[in-house]
Amino acid sequence: MPLPTLAFAYLPLILVAATAITVMLGIAWRREHHVTVAVSVLGLTLALIAQITAWHVMPLTTPLLAFDGLAMLGGILVLASTLACAVLAHAYFETFQGAREEFYLLLLCAATGGLVLVASRHLASLFLGLELLSMPLYGMLAYAFHERRSLEAGIKYLILSAAASAFLLFGMALVYAQTGELELSALMATLTDGTGVWGLAGAGLMLVGLGFKLSVVPFHLWTPDVYEGGPGPAATFLATASKVAVFTLLLRLVLTTPAFQGEWLHTVLWVLALVSMLVGNLLALTQSNLKRLLGYSSIAHFGYMLLILVVADGLAAETGGVYLITYVLATLAAFGVVILVSSATDGEDAGSLHYYRGLFWRRPFLTAVMTVAMLSLAGIPATVGFIGKFYLVALGVEAQRWWLVGGIIAGSAIGLYYYLRVIVTLFLAEPGMQRRDASADWAVRAGGLVVLGAAVLVILLGLYPAPMIALAHAAGNVVVP
Amino acid sequence: MELAFYLSGLTAVLATLGVIANPNPVHGVLYLVVSLLAVAMVFFSLGAPFAGALEIIVYAGAIMVLFVFVVMMLNLGQAAAEQERLWLKPRTWLGPSLLAAVLLLTLIGLLWQGNTQAMIEGGGLTAKGAGTLLYGPWLLLVELGALLLLAALVTASHVGRTTPVAAPSPAPRDMPTQAADQPVPRTTPGDKPPNTGGKPPNTGGEEVS
Repeated sequence: MPLPTLAFAYLPLILVAATAITVMLGIAWRREHHVTVAVSVLGLTLALIAQITAWHVMPLTTPLLAFDGLAMLGGILVLASTLACAVLAHAYFETFQGAREEFYLLLLCAATGGLVLVASRHLASLFLGLELLSMPLYGMLAYAFHERRSLEAGIKYLILSAAASAFLLFGMALVYAQTGELELSALMATLTDGTGVWGLAGAGLMLVGLGFKLSVVPFHLWTPDVYEGGPGPAATFLATASKVAVFTLLLRLVLTTPAFQGEWLHTVLWVLALVSMLVGNLLALTQSNLKRLLGYSSIAHFGYMLLILVVADGLAAETGGVYLITYVLATLAAFGVVILVSSATDGEDAGSLHYYRGLFWRRPFLTAVMTVAMLSLAGIPATVGFIGKFYLVALGVEAQRWWLVGGIIAGSAIGLYYYLRVIVTLFLAEPGMQRRDASADWAVRAGGLVVLGAAVLVILLGLYPAPMIALAHAAGNVVVP
Repeated sequence: MELAFYLSGLTAVLATLGVIANPNPVHGVLYLVVSLLAVAMVFFSLGAPFAGALEIIVYAGAIMVLFVFVVMMLNLGQAAAEQERLWLKPRTWLGPSLLAAVLLLTLIGLLWQGNTQAMIEGGGLTAKGAGTLLYGPWLLLVELGALLLLAALVTASHVGRTTPVAAPSPAPRDMPTQAADQPVPRTTPGDKPPNTGGKPPNTGGEEVS
């Protein structure tokens, strides 16, 4: 393999890691919040550009990583959402009493983990990537540790995530015990002639570990608390980059490893998907806290996405790409508004819905962003969320998974109720309510621009989805084991 | 050699059960030492003496001694002496000693047979083999491990910080908001962050290494 080509493929990873080191050295020398943010954003932007240019050298494989379409798309999404998180964190931590710079260091480390995870084709790189993605998140979630809830979120995620990692490792050990292979393609070759009970048990345990990170239903209990307690940017990263990386990995596992295509595991995935859709949506109905509501909504969305893993052929990879893009855009916009309204100095984040009562009369454009995000999450036509839902339903109908299609439709119907409730709240003005507000010049600051950009993309891609579909199509076509 | 493997494996499982079931942290840590030694024995019997030696030096030697120290330090005070006396009851040390004795007997039995090169199956893993693997095709994983430890370290040092470093006072905002819990006097920007001292909270650096 020619070295320059390989260097191209590795460049985003190297750039992000180098930025992390630079930020660390910068912190050791002098603490400057603005400079740290500038360096992080510059590094992430360069990495994003490198990731896009690396598209031309794929597909490429090394013993540990596979740089194929799935990895490229996942990498772009991870880097873009990390970039958004870094910019939003600048607004959030501007007046934070305490060390602010470490957050970006942790964010960059986690992004490196995400990049490795989306490209990993070896169980060792899979595990290290996943740990590198989760480990900094403990620190990010507990970042405002003077707040009880933030610390609680960090510790909760630490303990439960460690338990999930243990499941994952045990599953890997069982798969290894049966096959003696750690590489996914070699695993595939060994497992093609019948899975065997150890391999099946191992695959099941790995599914538990990864299902925890995706917070699909039986493993979802941590999600609302962690989303509510963690600082806004950390929760955003958890909801976007972290979940995108894990889902991309799961998609690769399912597409390339036959142990995940057995009938038994299909049934498990099928049940998980249906339960996640319904439980996530039903529990979101009673929430009065926007961050918890978004947590439950993400559970439901990943329930929808599990349909892709159940079908796992033909259009599946493309659908996964499209839905991930739509989910990330809408979630970034919704969380961005929450972050802009909150601030690290104000104690708890502005999660409660009553803070948003009548936001329209004070910050009309911010309200528009939130409205667009909610409509997109609900899957209303003319937003990007509709395209994603359309793809999912088309995939389900084509594969004749009627129960899951029914689940998506029922889930969307329930979802409509609570998404619209948020929108109604935004427009209801009532004097004397407890209110929180974004600063007056939010729209001309970097965080505001990110949020506005996400909202504009939601609308633009909703009306003209061709570029997004082309991207997902190109990515889905090149999946190497 | 199979017998050694299974005996050490059994010891590891039992000792780990002791770690989980024990209400007293020091006793749990003692069991953990035995468990790690047993895992090292497993490595030896599988023909990976390098990994086994590392397990003993790094885990049982360095990390566990640190654990014992920290746990002991936290127990200092009036009740400490009384506590020490309680720990000397046979019930406390009998379990770990018995399990350690099993390991020792296994080792002696193996040495008695005189065949120190024996292993269960497969090729031996030497220091050279591990090195060429780690710094050849698996270099990426070493680097990722380094980043992982960096993140763990930063997390521990941040969460373990008792006094916040200087930050600008909250900017005036539209709504009256409650101030952060502890505004502190500013220091100059070039100042080092205050040394946390004491015990850094364990944020999981050990669990992955």
